Amino acid sequence: MLITQLKAKETITSLTAGKKVFVINCHGCKEVHFPEKEAVELQKELVAEGNVTGIVTTDYICNPENMELRLKKHMDKIREADLVLVFSCGVGVQTVAEYLEDKTVCAACDTYPVPGFQGVTPLEYKCDQCGECYLNLTGGICPITACSKSLVNGQCGGSKNGKCEVDSEMECGWERIYRRLEEIGRLDLLKCPTQIHNFATDDDVK
Amino acid sequence: MESNFRTGLSDFYCFFYCMGEKWKIKADKYTGSNNFIKEGEQLENYTKYQLKSNEELSSLLEGKDNLYVIACNKCFKEFDAIDEPDCDEFLKFAAEQGKTVTGSTKVDFLCNKMHTERKLQDLLPEGTENVIVISCGLGIQTVADLAEKPVYAASNSLNYRGHHGMALTKKSCDACAQCYLNITGGVCPIVDCSKSLVNGQCGGAKNGKCEVDPNKDCAWEKIYQRLAKQGRLEEFLNQPVQVRDFSKVNFKVINDYVKSIREDRLNGYYGGVHPSERKEFSEHIALKKFPDPKTVVISMSQHLGAPANPIVQVGDLVKVGQKIGEASGFISAPVHSSVSGTVVAVEPRMHGTSGREVMAVVIESDGKNTLHESVQPHKPLEELTPDEIINIVKEAGIVGMGGAGFPTCVKLKPAKPVDTILLNGCECEPLLTADHRVLLEYADDIVFGLKAILKTTGAEKGIIVIEDNKPDAIEVMQEKVSTIGNMEVFVARTKYPQGAEKTLIKRVMGRKVPSGGLPADVGVIVDNISTVKAISDAIQTGMPLVERVATVTGEKIKNPGNFIIKIGTSVRELIDYCGGFTDDDVLVKMGGPMMGFPLHTLDVPMMKGSNGIIAIDTDETKEQPCIKCGRCVDVCPMELSPLYFVKYAKEENWQAMKDKNVMDCVECRCCQYICSSKIPIIDSIKAGKNAIRGMK
Repeated sequence: MLITQLKAKETITSLTAGKKVFVINCHGCKEVHFPEKEAVELQKELVAEGNVTGIVTTDYICNPENMELRLKKHMDKIREADLVLVFSCGVGVQTVAEYLEDKTVCAACDTYPVPGFQGVTPLEYKCDQCGECYLNLTGGICPITACSKSLVNGQCGGSKNGKCEVDSEMECGWERIYRRLEEIGRLDLLKCPTQIHNFATDDDVK
Repeated sequence: MESNFRTGLSDFYCFFYCMGEKWKIKADKYTGSNNFIKEGEQLENYTKYQLKSNEELSSLLEGKDNLYVIACNKCFKEFDAIDEPDCDEFLKFAAEQGKTVTGSTKVDFLCNKMHTERKLQDLLPEGTENVIVISCGLGIQTVADLAEKPVYAASNSLNYRGHHGMALTKKSCDACAQCYLNITGGVCPIVDCSKSLVNGQCGGAKNGKCEVDPNKDCAWEKIYQRLAKQGRLEEFLNQPVQVRDFSKVNFKVINDYVKSIREDRLNGYYGGVHPSERKEFSEHIALKKFPDPKTVVISMSQHLGAPANPIVQVGDLVKVGQKIGEASGFISAPVHSSVSGTVVAVEPRMHGTSGREVMAVVIESDGKNTLHESVQPHKPLEELTPDEIINIVKEAGIVGMGGAGFPTCVKLKPAKPVDTILLNGCECEPLLTADHRVLLEYADDIVFGLKAILKTTGAEKGIIVIEDNKPDAIEVMQEKVSTIGNMEVFVARTKYPQGAEKTLIKRVMGRKVPSGGLPADVGVIVDNISTVKAISDAIQTGMPLVERVATVTGEKIKNPGNFIIKIGTSVRELIDYCGGFTDDDVLVKMGGPMMGFPLHTLDVPMMKGSNGIIAIDTDETKEQPCIKCGRCVDVCPMELSPLYFVKYAKEENWQAMKDKNVMDCVECRCCQYICSSKIPIIDSIKAGKNAIRGMK
């Protein structure tokens, strides 16, 4: 699940200038976010310039098997084009690029992480999959994501009026943790041993 | 090595904790029964959590007792087991530690706040002191927000960064918010290069392998080769130096953004989707009378319930509005001739929505459209009694024209008192614009029809519901009802399937029709806009339901349009009149793209419920295994779990399907539309419903 945003128009026009373009739209994650209106507008302009050999709107192009099935009948138009412009997340662009190895495949979107992509619904808070859940020590508020500095042993001391010194619109994560622990009568948890964050990923320890 | 080595799990990896370090070894190759997986290929398991080690758990449980355990059934993994084993493992461990467990539950998609909130209500038994959650960090935080008791995590989230995309492919995008793929020939330098370099290789690669990880190909060599192959090396060298902007990923901005889109999506009722509307093909094209067909095929089964019995014979002369089929039960409807002419056949003919041959009367038109003597205006509305109105509606053969075809006269006599009539002018199906045109061009008839329904049912209020993508229709209707005290227009934000009875009631009235119930159970009747127009015609002119408004559209139709079409007109004639198809690669459906029925032949007649014919691009896909992405659960407006229906249908476990409330499914196809594995979920649901009906 990803949020995609259209790249700046100049960036896209610099890619397409003077080239024949085949367009692939991926609507798989549209229910999270896909800049549909903007994409349609932009493609209208490209079509008006007369350089578009074809437009396909499909979903989940990150699934190589179905992507191939769906592109098959458009291969003539794809061959005709100098450039395949993909409106999707980075996964989709790479899946197409791998399939059309000889073609220039370009991304029309930038990809942003969705908080909670690994869960089902995009949520307003984020689990950073740190691999060492600290929630037991913090009353269920994640210090990795709720604290700008991802501190795991208490606040940095830089907060002003409860706001983070890094981002003044953000509440200090550790003040929230303190209040939650106080509410549930577990301030004693703050006296736990010093935590050391292991930054190795699962890939590293394979 | 010790502690939580687990065997017999479907996981591909087992995890060992050893001296505080994590070691991962590959377990036996997956040998499950799923026949989608080709030999040599593995579906990767992106399980998002694992139980904490026994030491960690025992120190966690120290001094805590009376535990309630909530475990998430995991997501993004092959849907092979209903219950994940971690919960039982933890319960066993807790028992060994001498702990009292007040209860436990296994929940699907714990991070789905709406569903979790409902399940947690009154879940924690008396005496529970601590809640233990086995889930990824998202599930734990969801519970921590909802439960009033201290919540503890018995699991760690696994660190799989960058596995986005819905299909389980390899890690390939880190969502850096500044896609570099255009410069690098489609190979990602952020993920594929150990150092995430964006301006070329570091120089440390040996024999094409990365110096950080000798098992890894140097990403920049791959990029070089790809660009060389495409003749783009010059282009790359001329690129300005790239500077990665780490502030582009700003969690607060993204969080706020996600919050707003969630609010938008859950607006009015849970679930639903936003398919591309594509109504611009036909929404501004005024209604046109479709040229009279030479022959009409009038099906005896154009409604829900028993087919009508034909009451004419070959050779009979019939006139417009003459009854040719008699209703044959309480839930049935009569059928009338839409032309004047001669009956040439009374025989089974191909039916558009059932896919088989159904009894029909075939009439050759004399082109004169002579009215039958029974077609006479009725008394003014003020003088008609409710029973007289119901009788007019019944005799006119009026059925729900939104597609379902439920006999309207039955609805008008609800078993329970009704306070509100909802007129469904949403037309939430993409492409279709028939109801839109009816709203614009027959506004007075709609107001008249609504008046008649209000009078018949004794309801206090009539509400015309229109989606905000039809501002012109909203304006027209608002003006029409502005002087009428008991009518109003409700503007609803576009979302599919808004027009489904139950979602419409929830959206407008905030009332929830109980499982297995009818709208009348919550004091509401829902009628389609076109149906109301037909009621108005039946009273004002005496004309039974012999024609309707339908859209012929789709990207593959040369000249789309909205037409007043005689019931029984052949779909082939409609398509020909509209200039035919743009090419042969086309899928024709009766109805909209979501709920419409694919037509295998164009030689089927238009029926009372046919609101459109669409010709769209074909889509060839292959069913992939379910990966528990949970999207079907996220979009189901009836708040069901469609993924289970597919699994149970394969096992022919109809009782389990029934227990999961499959009978509440309205077949809106949101689940199938959103399915990332392109599973024909509705086929499973239909099979289940049929089997359950047979069980009775």
